[in-house]
Amino acid sequence: MAIQDLTLALVGSGGDGVVTMGDMIALAAARDGLNVIKVEAYGPQIRGGESSTTVRVSANDIFAQADAVDVLVVFNWQDFARFKGEIVAKPDAVIFSEARDEAEVDLAELGATGNPIWIKVPFIDLAKESAGTTLAKNIVTLGILSELFGLPQEWIRKAIEKKFSKKKAEVLEANFKGFEAGIEHARSIDRDFSARRLSYTPGEPKLLMSGNECAAIGALHAGCKFFAGYPITPSSEVLHFLSEWMPKVGGYVVQTEDELSAINAVIGGSFAGVKSMTATSGPGLALMTEALGLASMAEVPAVIFDVQRGGPSTGLPTKSEQSDLWQALFGSHGDAPRVVIAPADVEDCFHATVEAFNIAEEYQIPVIVLSDQNIAQRRETFSAITLNHEVKNRRVPTPDELKDYKRYKDTPSGVSPMTWPGIKGGVYQTNGLEHDEYGRPTSMHILHEKMSDKRYRKLWPIREQYHFYRRYGAEKADIGILCWGSSKGPVKEAVIKANAAGKKVAAFVPQILYPFPKHEFEAFLRDVKEVIVMEVSFSAQFYKYLRTFLQLPEGHTHIFKRSGGKNLTVTEVEEQIEKVLPLAATKREVLV
Amino acid sequence: MSPDVNKLTVKDYKTDLKPVWCPGCGDYGVLNALYRAMAELQLEPWNTVVLSGIGCSSRLPGYVATYGFNSIHGRALALATGVKTARPELHVIAVGGDGDGMAIGGNHFMHSCRRNLDVTYILMDNEIYGLTKGQTAPTTPTGDKTKSSYYGNPEPAVDPVELAISVGATWVARGYSGDMKTLTKLITQAIEHKGFAFLNVISPCVTFRGDHQFKEIKEKLRYLPEDHDATDRTAALRYVREKDVVTTGVLYRVEEPTLGDRLEHIRMVAQGDGEPPTTQEIINHFMPLS
Repeated sequence: MAIQDLTLALVGSGGDGVVTMGDMIALAAARDGLNVIKVEAYGPQIRGGESSTTVRVSANDIFAQADAVDVLVVFNWQDFARFKGEIVAKPDAVIFSEARDEAEVDLAELGATGNPIWIKVPFIDLAKESAGTTLAKNIVTLGILSELFGLPQEWIRKAIEKKFSKKKAEVLEANFKGFEAGIEHARSIDRDFSARRLSYTPGEPKLLMSGNECAAIGALHAGCKFFAGYPITPSSEVLHFLSEWMPKVGGYVVQTEDELSAINAVIGGSFAGVKSMTATSGPGLALMTEALGLASMAEVPAVIFDVQRGGPSTGLPTKSEQSDLWQALFGSHGDAPRVVIAPADVEDCFHATVEAFNIAEEYQIPVIVLSDQNIAQRRETFSAITLNHEVKNRRVPTPDELKDYKRYKDTPSGVSPMTWPGIKGGVYQTNGLEHDEYGRPTSMHILHEKMSDKRYRKLWPIREQYHFYRRYGAEKADIGILCWGSSKGPVKEAVIKANAAGKKVAAFVPQILYPFPKHEFEAFLRDVKEVIVMEVSFSAQFYKYLRTFLQLPEGHTHIFKRSGGKNLTVTEVEEQIEKVLPLAATKREVLV
Repeated sequence: MSPDVNKLTVKDYKTDLKPVWCPGCGDYGVLNALYRAMAELQLEPWNTVVLSGIGCSSRLPGYVATYGFNSIHGRALALATGVKTARPELHVIAVGGDGDGMAIGGNHFMHSCRRNLDVTYILMDNEIYGLTKGQTAPTTPTGDKTKSSYYGNPEPAVDPVELAISVGATWVARGYSGDMKTLTKLITQAIEHKGFAFLNVISPCVTFRGDHQFKEIKEKLRYLPEDHDATDRTAALRYVREKDVVTTGVLYRVEEPTLGDRLEHIRMVAQGDGEPPTTQEIINHFMPLS
């Protein structure tokens, strides 16, 4: 029996071409209509060092990486050792390793505790013989993998052609020879792989994108015409993408000298009437928090796209964690209202960014989009982006509003008429000082109270207007899982599997984190017996945040939390479900 | 000749806010010269933005009836980068003090010079932190006793003018708040300059530096000789480095492409005369192997 879902992990040194190999598999599979999720992992080295690509291809819908891999290719066992505990083989995985590498390996330690197949392949020799260069060993490997596991060979050939199209004809020719040599070598392997082959019906090609690319396109879709940013892993792709595409839509990009400059330039651009955005990661967001308060105080729309990585300090720059939550929610001194949105998958990065601009422009408030390395840098497939996402623009004040113009007029909604340079009759001077309705500085308590109230009042209509959340699984459930951001993927996959197995499990994933969607959370809690809060934050930031707004059922709330560096797995979710399920035998009293 | 009723006068640039500055503060001189320069140039208030950070002098935007933004400490030029890049057609003037510009905002100063950001930056230099009541600034002379240097300032001072010339500003001048006529002329020229125009104004602090600062400055002041070639960087630096003499005037002036020019060039290369791509067209680039 063939399979519908196949995960391959490729491990080597920087020069081994494992990333290229992963790209080609992903491109070919997506082109043939398969679903793909591809992640890469690197050591801290700038060049060289260990690197890995893990590609999951499936004929079915998939929402996360696989916890364990079906096929593992190791060019060098020393490199593999650096991914210990992060790349896990299935009990009966197929493992290919370089024949020249004679390291002693205990396959059980890799997770291959069943009946794995370990094949030593002379990758280097095959590449030299066929293509005349060891550089082609990744292409040789592609030949082997495609032949044995049913990956679309024609599209891989096309991917090779595209990759080497700008090189000399001989280079392309040599790589094609390497590919064929791999196929030939595969045929010489005397094992039956038929039960491990991917079986699927080719379909329409699918888009293959990363979260950072989706976010950048979302910004362009929303009409962003100014981007200021400072390079930082894992958000730099937003800057890279916009440096190419922003000028094409008539906008400008400035790579600033630091994050302080980036956020203040964004506030400047937006004050001047142009939709503006920056992108950063945790350390950069920390530097931006003072100016976040400025945007909040001066009521300037601003979009800050934060891609979380392991922290604190420099932390784990290339790996994911959900631990910027508190600094996004509460960072900055004083009482500084802002909006926090968290996309939960790659495509969501597009919608969350458009929505961030809409909220920022309509409510004159800074909006933080809280992505993470997992969804930011992984590539995944989807059919199309829903483009009818409404785009809102800043409202031009009416002539009446310009009579005795009050920039910070205290209105029922808290939103005041906002002009910008160029509008005659709308001239005002603003500041980061507390101010009256005209924008004139004050340090009077009465005005501070009144204006604080006005600024916070804007959050109420946002809460009423926006209902961003996802619910999965049974309507009335024994277990309700609360999670956010990229944890959605493994949670959703586990919930679907659990329900298919007759277990009543549900999940609730808010997309807007602040203002807190209290009613939606409470409605969900009423429908479930036991609650599990799951997150990738050692100090359980999400759980503690929930407790500030929600009465989580005492004695019936379970927490799964751990630090990042490794994404939440489906297995971890399933283990929690199994652990808690017996406790749901008696329905708890609903606490209000 | 009948008076032009549409002509803007100094009072059109004044707001009804009373400055918070001490009587005798040099910043009044700068503010008044700025009003006059604006009137001289007939700057449209609605197309002009005055930005600042934090400090005594950074209160200035509140007193000018253009669009204004008194932001956070050190970030005036960062905001100006955003305003000018997003809206190149606006007149953008950043102002602030020596602590704001040379200490906490020093990084932005260097890079704004280097980029040749097309804004005017007026630094009111009183060699002291006034708003926080008298601490040492990066421009405070070595040995001077301040609230934060009980035994005298242990550090050498930076000369903002020398720094600006060194890191790429394309128009650099020094002025004195007590010389209204020259200062007005300098501000006018600074606003007219296309590129980063840096005007360091000696603006004494009577409260924390005392009358002696006024007296000392007056003794040291010299006008730049008329035959000075402002395009000669070496000559400019020679005047800047003279000891016991403070030379006012336009020390350095060259024409270079601005940040805006370069970004506009990039836009033209990228976009050409064509229609901008739709979101769908951008997304199509992610259709694999197409």
